[in-house]
Amino acid sequence: MKAKSHINKVFLGPPLFVLAVLALVPTIAAIIISFQNKELGRRGTSFVGFENYINLFSDRRFSNAMKVSLQWEAITVIGTMIVAILVAILLFETTRGRTRAIISTLLIVPVLLPRVTAAFVWKFMFNPLLGVINYPIKELTGAPIEFLSNIQTALISVAVVDIWQWGLFFAVILLKLLETLPKEPFEAARIDKARTWEIYAYVAIPMLAAPLISLTFVKMVESLRSFDLIYVMTRGGPGIVTETLDMYAFNQGFVESGRISYASAMAVLMLLTTIITFTVLFKWVRKWQTA
Amino acid sequence: MGAQMANRITFGSISARVVLACVVIFAVFPVVWTLLNSFKEVVDIVTPTPKLFFTPTLENFRYVFERPSVRLGLSNSGIIVFSAVALGALFGIPAAYALAHMKSRVGDEIKFFVLSLRFLPPVAVAIPLMSIYLDLGLYDTRLSLTMTYVLLTLSTIIWLSIPAFERVPQNIEEAARLDGYGPYAIFFLVALPVAGPSLFGAIIFSFILVWNEFLIALMLTTSEAKTLPIVASEFTLLGRNVPWGILNASVIVLSIPPLIFLGVLSGFLNRMFKK
Amino acid sequence: MLKTSISTVGGLLIATSLSTAAVAAVCTDDLKILAQPRGSLTLLEERAAEFEALSGVSFTIDFLNENDRRAKSRAEASTTGRYNVYYIDEANVALFAENEWIVPLEKHFPSEFHLDDFDPSRLTVGSYEGDLYFAPIQGGGDFLYYRKDLLDAAGITPPTTLDELKVAIKALHDPENNVYGFALRGGRGSGANVWRWMTYFRGFGGEWFDGDTPTFNSEAAIKATETYLELFQYSPPGTSTGSWTEVTEAFNSGQVALIVESSPLAGLTEDASSSAVAGKVGYTVPPRPLTGGGYGHGLAIGAKANRDEAALDCAGLFIGWATSQDQEMQRLEQGIFGDLNRQSVFASDEFAAKYSGNIATALEETAEFTTVNFWPNADWPDLGDRWGIILEELIVGSRSDIPEALNELEDYANDLIARR
Repeated sequence: MKAKSHINKVFLGPPLFVLAVLALVPTIAAIIISFQNKELGRRGTSFVGFENYINLFSDRRFSNAMKVSLQWEAITVIGTMIVAILVAILLFETTRGRTRAIISTLLIVPVLLPRVTAAFVWKFMFNPLLGVINYPIKELTGAPIEFLSNIQTALISVAVVDIWQWGLFFAVILLKLLETLPKEPFEAARIDKARTWEIYAYVAIPMLAAPLISLTFVKMVESLRSFDLIYVMTRGGPGIVTETLDMYAFNQGFVESGRISYASAMAVLMLLTTIITFTVLFKWVRKWQTA
Repeated sequence: MGAQMANRITFGSISARVVLACVVIFAVFPVVWTLLNSFKEVVDIVTPTPKLFFTPTLENFRYVFERPSVRLGLSNSGIIVFSAVALGALFGIPAAYALAHMKSRVGDEIKFFVLSLRFLPPVAVAIPLMSIYLDLGLYDTRLSLTMTYVLLTLSTIIWLSIPAFERVPQNIEEAARLDGYGPYAIFFLVALPVAGPSLFGAIIFSFILVWNEFLIALMLTTSEAKTLPIVASEFTLLGRNVPWGILNASVIVLSIPPLIFLGVLSGFLNRMFKK
Repeated sequence: MLKTSISTVGGLLIATSLSTAAVAAVCTDDLKILAQPRGSLTLLEERAAEFEALSGVSFTIDFLNENDRRAKSRAEASTTGRYNVYYIDEANVALFAENEWIVPLEKHFPSEFHLDDFDPSRLTVGSYEGDLYFAPIQGGGDFLYYRKDLLDAAGITPPTTLDELKVAIKALHDPENNVYGFALRGGRGSGANVWRWMTYFRGFGGEWFDGDTPTFNSEAAIKATETYLELFQYSPPGTSTGSWTEVTEAFNSGQVALIVESSPLAGLTEDASSSAVAGKVGYTVPPRPLTGGGYGHGLAIGAKANRDEAALDCAGLFIGWATSQDQEMQRLEQGIFGDLNRQSVFASDEFAAKYSGNIATALEETAEFTTVNFWPNADWPDLGDRWGIILEELIVGSRSDIPEALNELEDYANDLIARR
């Protein structure tokens, strides 16, 4: 028993120390910097109290960024789950054996791509002059659709790329989960002459409720990482309709003015929001799943 | 919408197959199209009608590989990613083993701490680190980016390796103990080999995660330590008299390493979700 | 006799090798250059061996698009400063010079490359507080480009005033047949949408600042913005978030009847291999009261990366070689019209043979209307980029209240001044 606690100390001690240092140092630094007026390329830094935070609340681009981030979360999480469920059922119903294995492998290709690649690939396809998506549109209507520079379509168009990557990946996971379900309830439902969609809506999906909620949670966390797509595809434009919080923080801290402190204040608020939200959600999901 | 689709599946397996084909095309067409474009000359890309057949050229790839920035990015990415993954595995796999055997509240809290690191928005990590590394003179170095990436690889490897160790049958470890194996011998000689394939999957997963990482690298490097995703993004955003074929080739080069491991990951998923 | 000549040749050889050695000793490390893509810089890469022979070292150029080059060179110079040579422009020379991220050029520019041969206006643009900081790569003013074929067919003479321009645009605008009346830059950036907008703002009498007091929130700015938005209705798809690349591609592909743009477009337009309208275009000065946007881009010596005098001289040697008369003649031969800056090249027979008539006249005439439209200050990039985003929002229609937009910019400007 003693030997076991020894191995735990050796195995857990160093990694937890490393993680704690790597995670806590930037977090504490972010908090300290957010109370200063640090700027790239300007000498002299002093503490300014809550000034950065107060300024944030009257900054329309900040409130816009919060709105865009929430929209992004909603669109990508819901879109991903819908695509995942539909495609998983489609695969489960129509394919067997080798075909299914090959298609499953193909469907995880998008998620493996670097997001920079995914973003470029789609940006090129959306291109009003050269894009393959716009080619049929031009043939039919005579004019291309400017997917990425139209205020109505820009955010959705970027979200399509995210759903392309994650929705198809989750479909494969869901398919594997469907395969693990017992056959009996399906057969019972079939004998009752339930329609296919009824079997899934009333039997299969409820049986998979727990993993579905876990997947939704994972997607909510991963959707925070929208930056790469938006950076390559729209840079937050047209105007600021796709400017998410991380894009705006990056713009403030790096590109437009190098206001590290102002960006740090944003980072701290994001940190607090995500940690609190996801901790509460996680504990809730845990409790719900074990109950 | 779900109902309609399901009905079509029941009543017409042909239309279901058509839908399935569309899904597969949706998944792979963008990648295939980019691959084709990377072998095209500009005149074959800038056509009013998209071209499927053309005389392929390797010129785009030659150009990409001859750029000093691409070579630097390639070696930076290789060194940084390899180091971060190796360190992550070295520290992470033993930690996961220990956590898999801890059935206490403390164990749960530690597991949650490791998971919660994924909740950190990357920009919130990058901005303060930028300031710290600048003060330390470590900004835009491979060392500082590697250290930052260990945070990602370590937490990912721990989190994904715990289930791998949990699936090692307890009676095997018990039998080894009765044979007089010490705890370290059990880890190295029993648990590690049995969990091996899944652990490999976890390591590859973390490799892809950092190979593809963009935002942190963008903020923590400016010239010397730039990784390949940054170099590729600069290509794709060049703008003036756009060399489209070269842009397509640059993203293909960036995407090859993750795609090599497609088979490994597919197998990893199968093991993770097997009953 | 023979002996003498051998010793003379020997002496010459020694002298030559000595002078090469003297130059080669200047450089010890390979040079790193941060730039935006230009035909002339690609040409440099093709002739890298020439520089190696001259200096003993090679160089690498990292390319970023114009907006990113501005943003990233600033971030890079303010932090690590690892580039030996920076591509700088009229709008950020004040910022770079004031922060001492670059050093004055003249002392390190080898005299054999003749600084005084550059067009004087280019050198003015490259100076800050009396010191020259960059040797020009490109520069110039604005032209009104018009499609002679379309104007002739509609019986319209080239517009000389803004009102005439508006009439002509409306008359020629025919999107059904893929002809748009005008093309404007909509995409954000002090060097993008703001760059073109300023020609209206300054033309209507607008001023940016009076000392430290912002004065741009005025009738002139409102009228300029209204006019800009009005004209944007006639601009082709892709331009509302596009800039130089998008508008010039649209014009060269024949989709645009009239355009006011920087003078280098003339070279691209007349290049039949990349332009569908070569030979169909006329050139004249921008319609009154628009002012021409005087600009210049060039190469400057980085302060941090070049640690000693020798390193500074090496960077200077590179800039001298890269902007030499020989390089410019090569550019001229390859039709890289936009990147010509030397008086001796403009006066050459080759130039006269290639760009006779219309372009040459327009070049001379437009100088009169070319002015500095931006606010020449280290804070300009910051202010200009902020206005760029707001202007883009107005153009794409996600906001519409112009006075409110200008108030927002004024608050931002006051904040900038206060934080100094």
